[in-house]
Amino acid sequence: MAHGLSLYVERGSVLHRAHPLTKGVLTASAIALAFVLPSLGWVLGLLASLVALAAIAGVLRRLVPVALLVLLPIAVLLLLVQGYVNPANRTVFVGAGPVALYREGLAIAALAAARIACLVVATFLLSFTTRPADLAEALVQRGLSPRIGYVLQSALQIVPQTLEMAVRIQDAQRARGLETEGSLPRRARAYLPLLLPVVLSSLVATQERAMALEVRGFGRRVRRIARRTFPDSAAQGAIRWALALSVPVAIGLRVAGWR
Amino acid sequence: MSWYNAFRVRMNTLAIVLIPVCIAIDWAGHAIASTLKLPLFLDSIGTVLGALLAGPWVGALAGFITNLISFGTVDPIAAPYSIVSLLIGLAAGIGGFYAWQRRRLGWLALYLVVFLVASVGSTPLNIGLYQGQSGVPFGDAIYAALAKGGLPTWLAAYADEASVDLPDKLITVLVALVVYQGLPNRFRNLFTLYRRPVDDEGEQAAPLTPA
Repeated sequence: MAHGLSLYVERGSVLHRAHPLTKGVLTASAIALAFVLPSLGWVLGLLASLVALAAIAGVLRRLVPVALLVLLPIAVLLLLVQGYVNPANRTVFVGAGPVALYREGLAIAALAAARIACLVVATFLLSFTTRPADLAEALVQRGLSPRIGYVLQSALQIVPQTLEMAVRIQDAQRARGLETEGSLPRRARAYLPLLLPVVLSSLVATQERAMALEVRGFGRRVRRIARRTFPDSAAQGAIRWALALSVPVAIGLRVAGWR
Repeated sequence: MSWYNAFRVRMNTLAIVLIPVCIAIDWAGHAIASTLKLPLFLDSIGTVLGALLAGPWVGALAGFITNLISFGTVDPIAAPYSIVSLLIGLAAGIGGFYAWQRRRLGWLALYLVVFLVASVGSTPLNIGLYQGQSGVPFGDAIYAALAKGGLPTWLAAYADEASVDLPDKLITVLVALVVYQGLPNRFRNLFTLYRRPVDDEGEQAAPLTPA
């Protein structure tokens, strides 16, 4: 369970070189569009273009297995339950009598699953081509509060460390005879002895860290200078605006009766 | 002293530093639950603990960013639910402002509020994303049975989500409270500015729901 938090894959593609915010806007607007677009055809079209972008970025072979791992269980659950009980169900698709899957429910589930597929692929496209720390830094440079920026950056570092510590504590407690396998009550009893040491040792360090930060002027309201900047261009700015505007436009079209 | 005074206290450096730690506790709580193969998420213990210590803002940010990070790494579907985690942090933070953790009845109130916020907040998202299912097989079985029985989708969807949240949030709140009680006084007192300034035992009964 201990692994780094970043899914970033080192490549030299256009997407990797793009400004972190451009990719962030791309992901956010693709997710919003997936839920605004009216029909399965449109949503599958969006999904296809996201997959094409992943191919351009050279991360397709890494992305597909992870995405399927997330998607498949949900898609199966959706198709089964909606095909079985959706209130719109009229026409039997397979089966008969009380055990049947209906065409209407399956269609609704397929649309929902395609939308979730867009959400998953758009997100992984961002995480595979962007270092999370870069995204946080770019946001701070564009006006996010540096205090929040610190929280993001520091969480990205502390979380993997804490997960490693949890593994070490688990080994230590097992060596002392703690049962971590067996029946559910027995496993449940092991929860607190594993969690408490993690919590206490991570909380104890906070006061020192706060003092160390304050000594270095953390709370001061001064203009900050960026240690590194990300190359940006007018074209990318235009792309960001176009992507961001596509969402309200699509919503407007839907309201105006687009089916 | 009304409940919204809980939001007036500005976060100091110590509170800011506490947020990433709470996020890490959220993650560790979930990771340990999965290693032990417990059938619960237990991914908001840090959010509730942070909110009890340092008020609604710390809780809200911890909850929100926990989901944001899992959204970008292991679980893209967690993204819309960051709003729910944020609300859990806010609600627990109001409880912390009234020092509910010091009274037995407050423990119950904290559990009820966190459970209600989580289940009521998640249901519309489940309806929008999954036609009302929660994505947890056990809850979805309940959903299928109720919807087949002719209940309206929203009610079946709520029962689905509530059946998952009822035990999950009980253990989450209980663990957060047990950890809080176990913290050294010296540490807890660093955060007294986030609690309602009242006569020490807080006899003027705090309302059960922060509304």
